[in-house]
Amino acid sequence: MSELKNAQQGRIDCDLAVIGAGMTGMAASVFAAKRGISTVQVGNIDGGLIFSSSLIDLMAVHPIQDKKIWENPWEAIDALVKDSPEHPYARISKEDIQKSIEEMLGFFTDAGYSYYYEKDKNLELLTAQGTIKHTYCVPYTMKPGVTALAEKAPCLIVGFQGLKEFSALQVTETAGSRWPSLRALTIPFPGSENKKDLYIAHLARALELPGARIKLAEQIKANLKDEKYIGLPAMLGINRTKIIIDHLEKEIGVPVFEIPTMPTSVPGLRLKEVFEANLPGTGVKQVFPGTVTSVTEEGGSFIIEVGDTGRSIKAKAIILASGRFLGKGLIADRVRIREAIFDLPVTQPGHRNDWHTVKFLDPSGHPVDKAGLEIDNNFRPLNASGKPAFENLYAAGSILAHQDWKRMKCGAGLAIATAYAAVNGIKKENK
Amino acid sequence: MNPSLFRIMLYISLIICLIGLLYRIGRWFIIKTGSEDAEYSPGKRFFSALKGSIVLIFSPKILLFFKALIFDVIFQTRILKHNFLRWITHVFIFVGFMLLLLMHALDGIITVKLFADYSSTLNPFMFLRNLFGLMVIVGVALAIFRRARAQKGFLRNTLNDKFIMFIVAVIMLSGFLLEASKITSAPVFDRMIQDYSILKEPEEIKPLKVHWAKEFDVVFSDITKQDLANKTLLDEGKVSHEDNCAVCHTRPGAAFISHPVASVLKPLAGYSNEARADIWIYWVHVIACFIGLAWLPFSKFFHLISDPINIIANEMIDPQKINPANAATRRALELDACVNCGTCNSRCSVAPVYRMLGNEEILPAKKLATINAMTRGKEFSEADLKAISEGAFICTSCYKCTEFCPTAINLQDQWLVSKKELESKGHPLPHVWMKEKNAAEWADEIKDKISPRFSGPGHLNLTDRADTFSVCIQCQTCSNVCPVAACTSDKGVDVAPQKVMNLLRMGLKDIAANTRMAWDCTTCYQCQENCPQGIPVADIMYELKNLAYEHLRKKS
Repeated sequence: MSELKNAQQGRIDCDLAVIGAGMTGMAASVFAAKRGISTVQVGNIDGGLIFSSSLIDLMAVHPIQDKKIWENPWEAIDALVKDSPEHPYARISKEDIQKSIEEMLGFFTDAGYSYYYEKDKNLELLTAQGTIKHTYCVPYTMKPGVTALAEKAPCLIVGFQGLKEFSALQVTETAGSRWPSLRALTIPFPGSENKKDLYIAHLARALELPGARIKLAEQIKANLKDEKYIGLPAMLGINRTKIIIDHLEKEIGVPVFEIPTMPTSVPGLRLKEVFEANLPGTGVKQVFPGTVTSVTEEGGSFIIEVGDTGRSIKAKAIILASGRFLGKGLIADRVRIREAIFDLPVTQPGHRNDWHTVKFLDPSGHPVDKAGLEIDNNFRPLNASGKPAFENLYAAGSILAHQDWKRMKCGAGLAIATAYAAVNGIKKENK
Repeated sequence: MNPSLFRIMLYISLIICLIGLLYRIGRWFIIKTGSEDAEYSPGKRFFSALKGSIVLIFSPKILLFFKALIFDVIFQTRILKHNFLRWITHVFIFVGFMLLLLMHALDGIITVKLFADYSSTLNPFMFLRNLFGLMVIVGVALAIFRRARAQKGFLRNTLNDKFIMFIVAVIMLSGFLLEASKITSAPVFDRMIQDYSILKEPEEIKPLKVHWAKEFDVVFSDITKQDLANKTLLDEGKVSHEDNCAVCHTRPGAAFISHPVASVLKPLAGYSNEARADIWIYWVHVIACFIGLAWLPFSKFFHLISDPINIIANEMIDPQKINPANAATRRALELDACVNCGTCNSRCSVAPVYRMLGNEEILPAKKLATINAMTRGKEFSEADLKAISEGAFICTSCYKCTEFCPTAINLQDQWLVSKKELESKGHPLPHVWMKEKNAAEWADEIKDKISPRFSGPGHLNLTDRADTFSVCIQCQTCSNVCPVAACTSDKGVDVAPQKVMNLLRMGLKDIAANTRMAWDCTTCYQCQENCPQGIPVADIMYELKNLAYEHLRKKS
């Protein structure tokens, strides 16, 4: 009877509501579904994911003001936790962090988008600017680039006329001192010779057609000298990536790798498609797009209102993975930062003037980037008295305080590990 | 009632009609609706049509002929599909008029052959004549009422439309008046006695007169009230009637319209008998019919010929396979098939745009009339052509007009051809002519006429509100998912949604509105659905396009 009533009101019943559709929200949904927790995910899938480079950072830079880079991410975490015990990583054991990443990579592998990593080592690869990026897991499309850099093998970097966001020459100029056998090649993209402006997602879609791949391979092969690897900006398709890479490698004769680009990046679009295609199969219900406008308590459960849709979700627990300013999990005005849904207390600099340092690219970062929610060891956000605000409210991801994921290079790791911890917290409570 | 005068007038009308028909039908093979039609000479078109018809007739498609004839021509289901009251109106007029034509006007040729003992003054013929006449009058009244009540612009009332309603009304009304005058007419009685009875002496005739005065409402100057009360005369009259008249005459009450009219006019019957009103009215009736006949090819009556042909052709010809010469002929024929019924206007998807802009060339009936005028060599001014061009491109080719046209005109085909014609006359669709200048040049053209903030009533005013696009972070997602940006072969650089957003952020709204992107946008909504900041990119494009056009229009 109540089921009928709920259906008429557009209400969905579940054990867990995940608010947020970025990496944290997705990871939380994956973990919850695996553990048999009935889950509804609500958010905007066209948000954080499409900006992702799809690299999975675990921990690479500490202290950030010294720009010290660590070869072993676990040692970096130890050092970080010692210096900054409020960092979310301090509340999760290294074993759990490792397990969370492995479980997430398992999901990606099942989805046909496998990753490469070495257990105790950060990997190095080129970026579109020619700088060296340190990360933990790379998608299979970028792995040959890691090998090529390590070997300093002769490598041809290919860019396209009109593709403003990638300059092969810039890559070779910047990375040349470290990797002398890099060579730059800029060619027109076959079929778009007349265009003045190219957009990378269009090129990715174009390569899903065999004819375009053959023409591209011909062009590259004609310009290939003794290079052992080809580096392209990340544009090898959105849905048929494996087919595209295999075909190109067959035609050209040497391994081909992707170089991560700035957002909007094709691997980010790929991640979005991977989640869109594979999450529903795990049993997770998705309400996309959906902006949570209010949450109220009703008899031990939360009632979540979604935008103007008239839909609502009744959940026993919530994981708040709503992100920071871009994701609109945190709202900043001229005076203070507040948390958008529950108005939870946000740890922040005392005064607006203290949000930023004077230097824009200050290596130690800006205090506003470390603002966010305080949590207990079960990853429940705290109220003004320092107690968990709600018994069944959890928080995870970049909304948490005391982390500067962009500079520490711990973004995806943070997302996955904190999501894992939050889901386990729920599992523990329910026992 | 000079029979030879009648016959002369009939033959003259028939000859004029026939010549007119040959002329009108001949023009179907000559009229060019598009300059490409010039490829096919009239002779070529005629023989192509002949060949095409023969091929169709001797194919299984002949069944479609009967389908179209029965359902669309006789039962007019195409009108029924649109509106029941309109169907009733037309069925009344059509059935009433056709049956009067066949069974009354041509009773000497048709009715007599079908019914051996036919006489126009017998039932059911007398009753039916009145019934059919009433049907026509009710139908015409409904038609006039509809036209009087129509909203401005939605129903065109040309001279032709008024003429046919007038003539038909005159024929019907004079018909009833004629019958009424004959009912009370003593001179007609006298003539009938002379022609059809053996009675000669006034004493023989008088009882019959009394009978007819009493039972048939004839008004005699020489029959008194006492005569009418005289039982002997009445009885004798009745017997005389049985012998002389009853075979052909039922009581006039069956003429349920004419008889009451006669009763009402009875006080004037004495005068009308003397003046032989019946003869006058007869000539009005007959001459009205002859005018209708002679003018048939040039008036709306022609639709009785052109519409069945068009409806049957529509059913039998496959528009995908039609020979271009025949297509040209069909388009010319269709210009004669339009009866200004306004169904297309009432179904037009962009009629609300007409209500906003007031340009009649947006509505399909006017568009067809304009095409017709063009084929007749009418010259149009630049301002006219601009209005015609606007009507042509506002049309979305939604097919509703074509679907519901009761006379089966392939309006869609007419629009396609006329749009090409307009292009060749220097008036292509806007997204073509706006490429003559670049965005900055267009912006220069309109900027003196309008303020930078130029939204007005009827707009969402997205582009005046900074909060709409100030959150744009130039992430390029919209450009990356835009299929127009992906496929455009336009060498211009201003084909990317994110560039338009940036122009808006800089307050350069007049340039933004004239970018290629704003005009090539297909409103697929990918940009709006994928924008991480929730900016209504597609809605903004749409608003910019409408604002720019509004200002270009005002300026001219």
